[in-house]
Amino acid sequence: MVDLSVNLNGLILKNPILTASGTYGYADEYDDFLSVKNIGAIVTKAISLEPRSGNTGRRIMETDAGMINSIGLENMGIKAFLENVLPKLEEERISYIVNIAGATFDEYIELGKICENSRIRAIELNLSCPNVHAGCLEFGTDEGSLYSLVNAVRNVYSGKLIAKLTPNVTDITKIAIAAQNAGADLISAINTVKASGVRISYVRGKFYQERINGGLSGMGIKPVALRAVSSISEAVNIPIIGMGGISSLNDIFEFISVGADAFQIGTANFTHPTIAEDLVNQLAEFIEYNGFASYEELKNKIREDIKNE
Amino acid sequence: MKKIYKGRVTEVKQAATDLYYIKISAANFSANAGQFISVLCDNCTLRRPFSVMDCENGVITILFKLKGKGTNYIKNLKEGDDIDFSGPFGNGFSLTDKRSLIIGAGVGVAPVLFLKKEFDKKGVESRIIGGFLNKDAIPANINLDMISTDDGSLGKKGSIVNFLKDEIKNYAPYRIYACGPSIVLEKICETASQYGIQTQIAMEKEMACSIGVCRGCAITLKNGKNATVCKDGPVFSGEDIKW
Ligand SMILES: Cc1cc2nc3c(=O)[nH]c(=O)nc-3n(C[C@H](O)[C@H](O)[C@H](O)COP(=O)(O)OP(=O)(O)OC[C@H]3O[C@@H](n4cnc5c(N)ncnc54)[C@H](O)[C@@H]3O)c2cc1C
Ligand SMILES: Cc1cc2nc3c(=O)[nH]c(=O)nc-3n(C[C@H](O)[C@H](O)[C@H](O)COP(=O)(O)O)c2cc1C
Ligand code: FES
Repeated sequence: MVDLSVNLNGLILKNPILTASGTYGYADEYDDFLSVKNIGAIVTKAISLEPRSGNTGRRIMETDAGMINSIGLENMGIKAFLENVLPKLEEERISYIVNIAGATFDEYIELGKICENSRIRAIELNLSCPNVHAGCLEFGTDEGSLYSLVNAVRNVYSGKLIAKLTPNVTDITKIAIAAQNAGADLISAINTVKASGVRISYVRGKFYQERINGGLSGMGIKPVALRAVSSISEAVNIPIIGMGGISSLNDIFEFISVGADAFQIGTANFTHPTIAEDLVNQLAEFIEYNGFASYEELKNKIREDIKNE
Repeated sequence: MKKIYKGRVTEVKQAATDLYYIKISAANFSANAGQFISVLCDNCTLRRPFSVMDCENGVITILFKLKGKGTNYIKNLKEGDDIDFSGPFGNGFSLTDKRSLIIGAGVGVAPVLFLKKEFDKKGVESRIIGGFLNKDAIPANINLDMISTDDGSLGKKGSIVNFLKDEIKNYAPYRIYACGPSIVLEKICETASQYGIQTQIAMEKEMACSIGVCRGCAITLKNGKNATVCKDGPVFSGEDIKW
């Protein structure tokens, strides 16, 4: 078996293919289609302090090359997660990262403490959540508030801390540097891109609009993600988990070439429920067939070849 | 078990104006009435959900209405083409052994025709009625016990819901099963509850994952709890729905 393992600033995973928060449930929901335990890690749906029922009305709309969602962080809350899901993850030996979402600064810290006490190995801070105490501005759009938040969680949580960045900012390099300075072990990017989905129909002499305001994901955002990962990798030296529209091995090579060390698959899971495991296998085959010793060697080769071009 | 199937198209045939049947051969696939499959369509991010209208000896029939990119892709498939679909998804109808009234409106007849077949197989008495826009909207080769069309071009004239009270009085069903546009389902549930009759209705909602993880298809029930149409449904007790 080829060595696909990665050491991401101390977070050791059997391979660099992860599944993105909100697209994979909490645990083994995809087990009918594949073996979830073969995936590098799943990132759970965002978990908040209290259960949330999410947004009402239209929650998704397909777009030309992706989809828009406005789920509103519907989730079971950390208590139910620890009681009902965590034992299953451990028992089934599924590698997982807990994505956490607070409505306030203090909620993030509380969640960090709970994860510390529950010995959760890694958490991903969803920084795209609206801060209800700051006009619902996203925590991740202002480097000052992001720094304080990541730093505060860092002080209560000793596991691997991943800061998940939103692309909806003027200069993502400043945000990434703030996350690194605040003590994040890794950066993941990107979350969804702010967008509106609109459908117009004309029925019996009258126009009708259907509309959703939410986050765009899937194929259409890959160029946005590549640019963001590229900028982040020039600004920081902690590892980067890249995501945004990944659905093929070639996409993974593109992300490696701009500086990503590992990857998350999101929307593509909906289209191809076996894709995460398929990509693990394809990556292994590529490495073996082309005579590389390991994933690390392949990654370095891609970067070196590009540098020398 | 839910999985991805690589089926083979055995037939695509027009059923009525903008309505088509597609038959897919897929070994080992089985489903119950009310369950659905999700079809992978070229150049589409999301799979398209369709109710199973029939499933026998490894051949699935779907009745679909032309709408946009996905259904046009399916319409243009030819005999012998591969078709990638996943399923079966959802809970399906739960059958009773008491006399039941089954209602399909428009393309909503698809899952209830399958249900009718299951009732017949079990030897349980049932009556199936269907409502359509006009005679050109009625799929070919289906058997219904009563038909209504909005314009009266075939069967009784008027919306199917207008005939529900008479149907209930004459047939005295223990339960009503229905599938169709939301507005029709709402009226059916309203009338049924006036007569104290239970309902089971199949709902539709745009879907991404089909397996309950994305929460994109969630609806809020009367008890305040969220339910996903793809996994907790698509069949619900009418009494639980907040219209
Ligand atoms: C459980 C379930 C069972 C269904 N069974 C049938 C059936 O048996 N026959 C049939 O003709 N149709 C059925 N539908 C509706 C069918 O899924 C849509 O008509 C189809 O997805 C339209 O795709 P499109 O690309 O042609 O249309 P577009 O309008 O271009 O689709 C754009 C997006 O909206 C979604 N969408 C559009 N209309 C609907 C809708 N009514 N319900 C859900 N998603 C929609 C599409 O999936 C796609 O993601 C069912 C829907 C659900 C949820
Ligand atoms: C339906 C849906 C729900 C999501 N929920 C979350 C979430 O709860 N927390 C989070 O950090 N990101 C969430 N995301 C964002 C994804 O994790 C990912 O960052 C984004 O979709 C880009 O990757 P993709 O293009 O591969 O989907 C969600 C995305 C989708 C499509
Ligand atoms: S479609 Fe994802 S939860 Fe129903």
